[in-house]
Amino acid sequence: MGPLGRLSLFSALWAVLAGGSPASWIIGAPTVLSAAWASLRLHPDTGRDGRAGMRLLGLVRFTPFFLLQSIRGGLDVALRVLRPRLRIHPGFQSYRPRLGDPLARVVFLDTISLLPGTLSADMRDGLIHIHALDARDDLEPGLARLEAVVAALFGESLESGTR
Amino acid sequence: MDQPTFGLILNLISTLLACGGALFFIAGTVGLLRLPDLYSRLHALTKADNLGLGLIMLAVLPQAPDLFFALKMLLLWVLVMIAGATGAHLIAKRAVRGDGEDIL
Repeated sequence: MGPLGRLSLFSALWAVLAGGSPASWIIGAPTVLSAAWASLRLHPDTGRDGRAGMRLLGLVRFTPFFLLQSIRGGLDVALRVLRPRLRIHPGFQSYRPRLGDPLARVVFLDTISLLPGTLSADMRDGLIHIHALDARDDLEPGLARLEAVVAALFGESLESGTR
Repeated sequence: MDQPTFGLILNLISTLLACGGALFFIAGTVGLLRLPDLYSRLHALTKADNLGLGLIMLAVLPQAPDLFFALKMLLLWVLVMIAGATGAHLIAKRAVRGDGEDIL
């Protein structure tokens, strides 16, 4: 997305957050400008068309999956900590993501932390370090499923058979 | 259904959702206090509080004066989720790499 696109996106966000009052733009205008500047610095345009855009169809698939899983995630951790005896076996596992797009990877990392029992702790040398509330479970199938949904969200195809 | 009954039902729904949301915030806090290490505590904070906030937002929605307000609530929830998950990842990363200041 170009600078103008980002400016309009952040302006729209501010308009929704602050309401319609014109006076709010005293704070809003500098905020929107700084946000656009920061986002251009942190995630510059690559110039490749259609790479990192979200797909509508992918969003339709991602949203219900994400909502259901985050409800399960909240319930899971609540039930674990409210029992008289904590039901946890914390530990680490690693996962090698196949997602190539940087934005898709960020979405993947963030959604891992909102799903049941998993927290993305680090990503280094193409390997995600995941903390699990119960490390005796194999996290791999659930992570692969989430990765597929995120890949669909960004219209990316995961080549299979590489692992 | 007449107007007062409809309003009563909406209020009842809001109350139930808000109580549910409060319950998850309490669970998140209990987790923060009871869980043994930094990483496990981050689980409680991100997941339980995210669901709690979602329920509180749903509780507020029937009371929304207009569509704009409803949109704002939804946007707030999404922004808080992104900030929460990203913050948790950054804290965990600093702890894993052990290059933080006095994290543990």
